Amino acid sequence: MSETQAGSSIQRRSASSRSSTARKPKPNQLPFAILTLIALILAGLFLQSQGNNMGWYLVTGLIFGYILQRSRFCFTASMRDPFLTGSTILTRAVLAAFAMTTIAFAAIKYGYFKNGLPVPGMNYVVPISLATVIGAFMFGVGMVIAGGCGSGTMMRVGEGFYMQMLSLAFFVIGNFWGAHDFGWWKENVINHGKAIFLPDVFGWFGAVVIQLVVIWLIYIAAEKFHEAKAAAGSSAH
Amino acid sequence: MKEVMLDCLGEACPIPIVKSQNKMKELAVGDLLIVQIDHSCAMKNVPDWARGEGYNVEVEEVGDGEWEVIIEKTK
Repeated sequence: MSETQAGSSIQRRSASSRSSTARKPKPNQLPFAILTLIALILAGLFLQSQGNNMGWYLVTGLIFGYILQRSRFCFTASMRDPFLTGSTILTRAVLAAFAMTTIAFAAIKYGYFKNGLPVPGMNYVVPISLATVIGAFMFGVGMVIAGGCGSGTMMRVGEGFYMQMLSLAFFVIGNFWGAHDFGWWKENVINHGKAIFLPDVFGWFGAVVIQLVVIWLIYIAAEKFHEAKAAAGSSAH
Repeated sequence: MKEVMLDCLGEACPIPIVKSQNKMKELAVGDLLIVQIDHSCAMKNVPDWARGEGYNVEVEEVGDGEWEVIIEKTK
């Protein structure tokens, strides 16, 4: 990282005298790492023995969490920072991820479709309705206050951030509550909407192209927004 | 030139950057703002914002998962 070189010109007068920088001796983390690794392997073997590829889910989850933590990829910041700081760097990172998964998932689904097999993941093609808007708004408010979306909260609990353990507890409670009331929403709001699977409307190739063009246009808009905000910010000084 | 400490320990992501932005307005050119954080996300967005503003920035890990972001108000 460039942090160490970037601001090396800063001279701090009282760096050594301030009490907050008194370093605590760091315990050796290697034994904890080895114990964690053994525990994870045992957990993986146990889950795999339960069937349904559960062990494989643990491995993909760990890889996802690792990438999320190291890259500081944050879905909350991608939606919040444009309003708060005018930065759309993470917004564009999320759009790039959407573009890549669009191509990959279309390829997987088309592979099944071409061979006459049932297309996987079709039960996630659900109607769009007012519930989508209400739910997205509620989730957006919640994730900004809680300091993370679903994956972000889990990742930061893993990092040991106490406040978000509280977020996680209420995240679980909220999920149960949501599941409890989901029947009402499904019956009264969701089922009034229409389920749209883009390849049914535009064909497989058309759907991918249209989705990529829309993502690309949002990307350009995000870039222009960032530049405009940065220009407005520097002229204000 | 003075050093101002800003305690953001235990504060989740948007709080440290908002506090830093507000505190920065009160400082004079040449002052140092030292933001104490322990939220990994703020470790990225506080320096990113400050560099975007054109300030000198240094990040120091003072403990396990605790950082000090030192920002010099250059303009």
